[in-house]
Amino acid sequence: MIEISDLRAGYGSINILWDLSLAIPEGKLTCIIGPNGAGKTTLLRAVMGLVPVTQGRITLNGRALSGTKTWEMAQEGIVMIPEGRLIFRDMTVEENLIMGAFPKKQRKRTRANLERVYGLFPRLLERRTQVAGSLSGGESQMLAMGRGLMAEPKVILLDEPSLGLAPVIVQEIFTILGQLKAEGNTIVLVEQNTHMAVKVADQVHLMQTGRVILSQEADKVDLDQLHDLYFAR
Amino acid sequence: MRVRVLIPLLVIVLYGVVPFALAGNNYVMSILVAALIIAGVALAWALLGNLGGMVSFGHAAFFGVGSYISAIVTMKLGVPVFAAMLLGGAGAAVAAVAVLPALRLSGPYFALAVLAYAHIFKILATEFTTITGGAGGILGIPTLPRVLGYDFGSKVGGYLVIVTIVLLFALVYARIRNSYYGYALRAMHDSEDATRVVGVHSTLLKALMLFLSAFMTGVVGAFNAHCINFLEPDYAFSSGWTMLPVVAAIFGGYRTLTGPLVGAVVVYTVDQLVFKSLIPSGHQIIFGVLLGVMILFAPDGLIPLLAKKLQWVRQPRGCRDPRTESVC
Repeated sequence: MIEISDLRAGYGSINILWDLSLAIPEGKLTCIIGPNGAGKTTLLRAVMGLVPVTQGRITLNGRALSGTKTWEMAQEGIVMIPEGRLIFRDMTVEENLIMGAFPKKQRKRTRANLERVYGLFPRLLERRTQVAGSLSGGESQMLAMGRGLMAEPKVILLDEPSLGLAPVIVQEIFTILGQLKAEGNTIVLVEQNTHMAVKVADQVHLMQTGRVILSQEADKVDLDQLHDLYFAR
Repeated sequence: MRVRVLIPLLVIVLYGVVPFALAGNNYVMSILVAALIIAGVALAWALLGNLGGMVSFGHAAFFGVGSYISAIVTMKLGVPVFAAMLLGGAGAAVAAVAVLPALRLSGPYFALAVLAYAHIFKILATEFTTITGGAGGILGIPTLPRVLGYDFGSKVGGYLVIVTIVLLFALVYARIRNSYYGYALRAMHDSEDATRVVGVHSTLLKALMLFLSAFMTGVVGAFNAHCINFLEPDYAFSSGWTMLPVVAAIFGGYRTLTGPLVGAVVVYTVDQLVFKSLIPSGHQIIFGVLLGVMILFAPDGLIPLLAKKLQWVRQPRGCRDPRTESVC
């Protein structure tokens, strides 16, 4: 369980998150939706320690995460799959995946985890010796997800996996998200594709201008009402 | 398969054939030693520039610090020469601590910052006259010693030492490149944030790379000092110790392991033995033109060019070059 309370974070003098509080229950899929500039990505980056937190606390199972550096997060079982994928373009698909198993604990199980990822994404197996820069958008997203899974995370922070992808691929990505959820992973999904996101989520939070303005169980969400809030200014 | 045949063959040629074939020719031998010195620095530079992604214009500083420290500890403290060479390398790595603040910079900013740092050490060597002898330099630096009856101070002995150093460096380079850390270093070129997310302490890794590169350069600098037995600041910290290896590495193909080595040997020996005999003064102009042509038409360098022509490595399917990616 990740608990975020009273969080303020931003970039230098520009503050993005305003006293944001949010609980992310274990084994559930928590979805954060909201328009551009709402602070969704900043929230994930703040959890990962990529953005300095100026106020508030983030705890993992009751223990403060503030002292944990970005590069120690994977050891703690928290993995972020960044927006825009941020794959290593000059390296092959398999090398990208091996990078995902960088934490010492995971290195020994690289083989087994590679097989698992190739099982989830057969497309990556076909392309394993190909340079990652030559992959299509959907394949890049699969690679980013596969790389994240190589660290055997307990918590997966997923930033806009559907961004710029064809509907068929989006469908495929969300099917896999459903599988990961069924395996008992804690997932935080940042999305703008509300239809798909609400369908797979347990909890839905709507963010706007650095605050959470609506929190609901996914099955109680009324999409029309959500969209009204979403587009309200 | 090829590599398994090539490496023993190379070792036999370097240790068994070259020393005997050229033993009588001191001129060629000393040019070969000079070329290998540049190759050693080129490899150290490429380790930082290729794997670490940091292009440095300041390796002359590490070279100079290594040579001065080794010279001073042998002459003033009586440290054996080979141990002193290691100390020279360690000293260069310590000198690299001063460069650490520049690690937060990247690209041309890092290159320029290191260039500026390099001058600090040259000034130190000039001004600390009591230890370094100042601008007058140090004379009579001990040559490489006699070990088990073999005189390493001879031309062939020196050649054997520098060949061993360069081969060890190549081995270290290859080991790092194929480790998780090598992967991480390559990954950092694309996105440092993404490498941190997967668990890499990127700043620490870059710092270690800098130290290692400085150490290697310092050892080569120390070797050079014991080889020529004389040092002065303008020579030991000459920008040539940065530029020649950089040129050699880029000419050979700095993104490959063999590129810096072959580049250095080709650039230096061809320049000295062929071009110099054609145009005794101003022979560098030919290399200038060649380098220009090379960068324009084969920016990856000599080794990748040859590899492509001879089909040594089969290119993976898809586009290797991000610039041509859109046509895929």
